[in-house]
Amino acid sequence: MKAPPFEYHRPSSLDEALGLLAELDEAKILAGGQSLLPLMSLRLGRPEHVVDIGDLGILDSLVVEPDGSVRVGALVTHRQVETSAEVAAHAPLLHAAAPMIGHRPIRTRGTVCGSIAHADPAAEMPAVALACNAAITAVSSRAAREIAAADFFEGYLQTVIEPDEIVTRVQFGPWPRHRRGAVVEQSRRSGDYAIIGLACWLDIEDNTITDAALSFFGVSDTPIRVAEAEDVLRGQAPTQSTFSAAGRTAAGVLRPTSDIHASANYRRHLAAVLTERGLAKATAESGETR
Amino acid sequence: MRLVGQSVKRVEDDRLLRGTGRYVADVNPPGVLHAVFVRSTFAHARIVSIDAAAAGRSPGVVRIYTGAEINAMSYPMLPMLMLPDLYTPLVKALSDDKVRMVGDPVAVVLANSRAEAEDAAELVEVEYDPLDAVPDIATGLRSDSAQLWEKADGNVLYDHADTFGEVDAVFASADRVITERFSSHRQSNQPIETRGTVIEVDPVTGHLTVHGATQTSHMLRWGIAAYAGKRRIRESLKSLATKKERRAAFLTAAKKFTTDNADALKQSDNAGAAHQIKRDKSTLLHMNRMGLELLGQEDFPTVVAQDIGGGFGAKGAVAREDIALATAAIDLGRSVKWIEDRIENLTDGGHAREEDIEISIAVDDDGTMRGMKVDLVIDHGAYPAWPIGASLASAIMKVMFPGAYRFEAFSMRSRLVATNKGKYVAYRGPWANETWARERIIDVVARELRMSPAEIRLKNMYGPEDMPAAMLTGPTLDETMSTRATLERAIELIDRDELASLKADAEANGRRLGLGLACYHEAAPGPPNYNDAISPGSGALSNETARTVVESDGSIIAYTSQMPHGQSHETTYAQVVADEMGVGIDDVKLVWGNTDKTPFSALGTGGSRGGPLGGGAIKYASREVRRLVAEKAASMLEASVDDIEIVDGNIHVAGVPSRGLTYGEVAGAVATLDGEAFSHNQDYRGKGDGGWSCATHVCMVDIDLETGTVQIPRYFVVEDCGPIINPAIVDGQVRGGVAQGIGAVLYESAVFDTEANPQTTTYMDYLMPSATEIPEIEVHHLETLSPGGENDFRGVGEGGMIGAPAAITNAIEHALAPLGAKVTDQYLPPTKILELAGIIDPDRSSGSS
Amino acid sequence: MSEPTVITMLINGAPATIEVEPRTSLADLIREELGLTGTHLGCEHGVCGACTILVDGEPVRSCLMLGVQADGKNITTIEGLADPISGEMHPIQKGMHEAHGFQCSFCAPGFLMSAVALLEDNPNPTRDQIREELGGNVCRCTGYKTILDGVEAAVSIKSGDNTSSTNLAAEVDR
Repeated sequence: MKAPPFEYHRPSSLDEALGLLAELDEAKILAGGQSLLPLMSLRLGRPEHVVDIGDLGILDSLVVEPDGSVRVGALVTHRQVETSAEVAAHAPLLHAAAPMIGHRPIRTRGTVCGSIAHADPAAEMPAVALACNAAITAVSSRAAREIAAADFFEGYLQTVIEPDEIVTRVQFGPWPRHRRGAVVEQSRRSGDYAIIGLACWLDIEDNTITDAALSFFGVSDTPIRVAEAEDVLRGQAPTQSTFSAAGRTAAGVLRPTSDIHASANYRRHLAAVLTERGLAKATAESGETR
Repeated sequence: MRLVGQSVKRVEDDRLLRGTGRYVADVNPPGVLHAVFVRSTFAHARIVSIDAAAAGRSPGVVRIYTGAEINAMSYPMLPMLMLPDLYTPLVKALSDDKVRMVGDPVAVVLANSRAEAEDAAELVEVEYDPLDAVPDIATGLRSDSAQLWEKADGNVLYDHADTFGEVDAVFASADRVITERFSSHRQSNQPIETRGTVIEVDPVTGHLTVHGATQTSHMLRWGIAAYAGKRRIRESLKSLATKKERRAAFLTAAKKFTTDNADALKQSDNAGAAHQIKRDKSTLLHMNRMGLELLGQEDFPTVVAQDIGGGFGAKGAVAREDIALATAAIDLGRSVKWIEDRIENLTDGGHAREEDIEISIAVDDDGTMRGMKVDLVIDHGAYPAWPIGASLASAIMKVMFPGAYRFEAFSMRSRLVATNKGKYVAYRGPWANETWARERIIDVVARELRMSPAEIRLKNMYGPEDMPAAMLTGPTLDETMSTRATLERAIELIDRDELASLKADAEANGRRLGLGLACYHEAAPGPPNYNDAISPGSGALSNETARTVVESDGSIIAYTSQMPHGQSHETTYAQVVADEMGVGIDDVKLVWGNTDKTPFSALGTGGSRGGPLGGGAIKYASREVRRLVAEKAASMLEASVDDIEIVDGNIHVAGVPSRGLTYGEVAGAVATLDGEAFSHNQDYRGKGDGGWSCATHVCMVDIDLETGTVQIPRYFVVEDCGPIINPAIVDGQVRGGVAQGIGAVLYESAVFDTEANPQTTTYMDYLMPSATEIPEIEVHHLETLSPGGENDFRGVGEGGMIGAPAAITNAIEHALAPLGAKVTDQYLPPTKILELAGIIDPDRSSGSS
Repeated sequence: MSEPTVITMLINGAPATIEVEPRTSLADLIREELGLTGTHLGCEHGVCGACTILVDGEPVRSCLMLGVQADGKNITTIEGLADPISGEMHPIQKGMHEAHGFQCSFCAPGFLMSAVALLEDNPNPTRDQIREELGGNVCRCTGYKTILDGVEAAVSIKSGDNTSSTNLAAEVDR
């Protein structure tokens, strides 16, 4: 189980990296490598060129902006996010999701941006980005652009990113004071990809839900927000029965498939369970989302 | 202080914890070539053509052998266990005309590096003509299913019935008959070290040294000698005719084997061989050729193995790959290395336990279980494991099915069905599903009769007052069959009040609590007639030999035919030898795994034989050497041998330790040519009757009715393997087995789709439980002594895995029965749990559970 | 550059400069090029954890890192745990020995390195923290209890309190 041969490039500047991506065919970007390298080892991925962005120090910053938004550079690892008090305070969903990803050695190398760009529909980070409608910055030698997470995911392991683009950062907007969130998931074993999971938040003012996000993972070919269920929540009091109603709606809307780890009916049932649990967890814990 | 009975710290740890062990992947002879097998992507197909031309030009490639080329230079692997009504297909090293499973090897690439070999293997073009696949037992039993083996009866390789007692009369006269159909799923042994073999060729002599990850070094040696690298018949005959010594040595060994095993061999009948030869006449031809091959060979390979990363039965088989590798190495005259990758291992590194079992119990209303009928069908996979596989599992199940219970009559039909899947191998307690199905239906019977599971078991189980007795299927029972005592102790250990309060708490919170138990006994090694009950004459294979030596410098070396791969023989055997010889643990060195040095054993490590048989052999070998040393010391000290004591290596006359001798001094006084002052070879095949290991497992489950998650808040085992050599090591064996049982029920399933394509070929899909999934298993011990006394150790390697699936599934049914659940599948992932609880419906076309 | 690249790293405290093919994993580099075979490969796709090593003090899967990515890094493997001068075992090695931690020990290198990383961050972990942290390593032999015991024993050894290490005596019910 050895990777097929490839040309290895380790640019020392972002411009050099973008130049390489512009000129090379079949190039893959290597950051943490926790998704790319197993695929190559299994010979399911066989890029002709690998562009290692590990030396691009400009991409390794994890910054809280003055407005409270959190900017996560392309080389920031899950472990950095998990152990950052700043992230816990300003991007609680991101912070809550990080420890659910694999195990520590995976989180030590794996990056937030890499996980989002890889777009595994069962992964936590894409769903968190979607829940928060994070802004994803993609840069090429042609231009730089910012893509809302809602417009980012196109299909199974597919995004709007062009072959010559690098995701340089993802930015999570300011977390409102009255927002409560949680990430919950059901996996076969601790650390596995989720059979189904949910990243969710509620804005609650005067005991009324003013806005909500329910971003599911593991139930479609992309992370998916269920607007119908979010609608059920808006304008209601944050009670168990409201949450149950939203859960029933989500279960009715989602069309998950069966695989060897769980049946479609199981996933649909769990959509309701996790909606209730996730929202209960979000509202039970003040400030703390795990 | 005696070492036996103490949790002595492991001798092997120093090397293994420092990272200086030597596993097969660490072996790199000079100039070694790396092998990668080209494997079928079809489950069932004819091979139309193989084109290796482009692959041959790939960088680093030295040679590519197709199946036809390898098979022209090797013999097919022949059946070893021939049972009446069993047909075992002869297996070629590589497939050359037809493939029977995804992963079937059809060619082997040898290159300068592993990566280059993988690159080239992708370029080998194989054209297949696909055939219909047989993905499961149901398809295999259909008369119109595509046939895997043309000499078989459809896809049924074995169809045999045995009856013990008046089954019809018992079933007719019982108050009721309760029938259930159980289904166990395909599981895999999954040692963390995959299989691997390095064939080292001596560039001058051509001698083969086989570095293997093997549970059975001598069988691997003989397998390679017999099958790899074909010689011309004439050459063999000539060699045999001209080399008198070789012929004499072989005949002496053969004569010794037949003399030593006269009783066992007398028992053996020829019905199995006759059936095999009737099905496939070439069996006889190949047997004769193989015999000539062995007789004509002057230079047998040496098998060497040091550290082995687990086996659980999967490394007890000699692989087709081994034969292909050795054949290629002989042909090329170069060393070759193959380390199986995890995809290969999950595809064909060993599967087991995929079995359908219909079972009926004839029972009276007072709970007396009188009769049992079993209809077993095993999913055999495509190729038979060599030397043993599914057929042995079915034979042992037949013997052990009645368990510790007093049945009046028992009958069993066994079938093996060939399917286009990985081979069925022995997996820790290969017969374990007899315990699962029996203990499962006993709970069903108890519920129907409104008895408790413990009550019905106690009512029907043999107890010490019944001994000696005999199982309906043949083996004699004595006090060591103490299953009832383990159950009685287990009942004491259950805290009823705690259970009730936990149950109430669970039910108030959307969960359900259940308690399950399972009872069994296993032959470890069992009485002599246990082997006869499995297959008459098979006792001939059970011998273990050990050799203890005191070298001229006084160092003590013990040689074993056992093949440690995690069982800590280096420690436990040193404990036994040190106690016998009156020395410390560090004074004993154990030698294993080198067939030039270690005595012969047909089986190696497996079957819970290490403690009782390997341990017995080494104990008595050491005792005899101690006697020889004492005799010599007695003459040196001018004392009677009866007065010699050896304490802490001080050999002295009782009461005068200050005038003692060291082993070095006594050994130094003996003239030797070979440096061995004292030595003794000891054959051992058990102490006679007894030899049963017994246990009761108790599992508590806590089930989340919203998610189907099963937690195990408590799991304990009350086991009785007699006196214990090293309690910490025994506990480790038990816990490891239970963990595999938990994995089997809740996490692990080797899944194939309807076209027989494997779906679980990575650890993302075949779910190995980790520390977060396995509870801390309690182990409690009873130490029933057998009437015969001496060397009363009994094996403990298999038991954990035998009891666990039954205890867990019984607990789950107990928890969910109030919701109407009946557990008939062994694999119970969260989806299945919620389906059983009636919370979700099965998918309409679900293959998911 | 599918041509070999020269990299420099610290391996168990010693500097090494070595030529490596880009596709060679760090695990293969350590095992095959540097001859440090104490690091084991169990699955080569990042799940079993046997190949876990420390890179700049943090645990990583050496099968999921290219050798070239180790350029300029400080690598520690199982061979680097014992004292290089005296050979005295690291507390985690002593603890595992004490507790009968492993059986076949093929998984041991990964567990040891994961445990070292844990104790570095959290010198007094709870049983559940140990379990969680070692949840990324698979052992097929032990059922894990003794491995958890081994980490606790290492904590005791580190703090100089050898007496409170786990009770290993067998309970014999007669």
